[in-house]
Amino acid sequence: MARSMLIISRQAPWAGPSAREALDIVLAGGAFELPLGLLFLDDGVFQLTKAQQAASLEQKDLTANLQALPLFGIDSLFVARRSLAERNLDESSLALPVEILDDAGLSTLINRYDHVITI
Amino acid sequence: MATLHLLSHSPFSDGRFNSCLPLLGDTDALLLAGDATYALTAGTKPATELEQLPEQVALFALEDDVQARALGMLPPRVQLLDYAGFVELTCRYERINSWL
Repeated sequence: MARSMLIISRQAPWAGPSAREALDIVLAGGAFELPLGLLFLDDGVFQLTKAQQAASLEQKDLTANLQALPLFGIDSLFVARRSLAERNLDESSLALPVEILDDAGLSTLINRYDHVITI
Repeated sequence: MATLHLLSHSPFSDGRFNSCLPLLGDTDALLLAGDATYALTAGTKPATELEQLPEQVALFALEDDVQARALGMLPPRVQLLDYAGFVELTCRYERINSWL
């Protein structure tokens, strides 16, 4: 049986290649039909905000790639409630449907997967 | 079930430490390596927070990294490991979460 993996993405979309690399792992794993989850933690939640304008920094828009996740069979998307609250964001600020988890929910989530990668 | 969380960044200059602590489940463990061992510095906020973790959460630190940094009095709950102990520890937990 394929081993499950949780990727924890905790960098803002413009903080270098980390956010895109985390997404690449998820998309690659999804292509091989691995059971994957993606958790947005800390500044990683900024990847999900609506109406980002990547073009103004001459970069590609990460949101478009994130929205493709369900097409790759990845629908286990999670966000840390604490990270949202610290940044004055809520569910309505997010461009994707995600499950919002408190601290206890996060430790349960992590312990549900065979492997964890934090980037 | 349990996860070993591995930190290697200083709690004084980086958010990983603060983000990791609330995610520790009751049977999880925390291993401090590299600059993360500065969290053990007596009288600091990170050291207090480590002391206040639930009793069942095991706390480890790499002895070489601790000694190199002259950290002085350590919290009594911390267990020091050499590299062989580090490897053994990683085998005792179902998954390792390295906060890269």
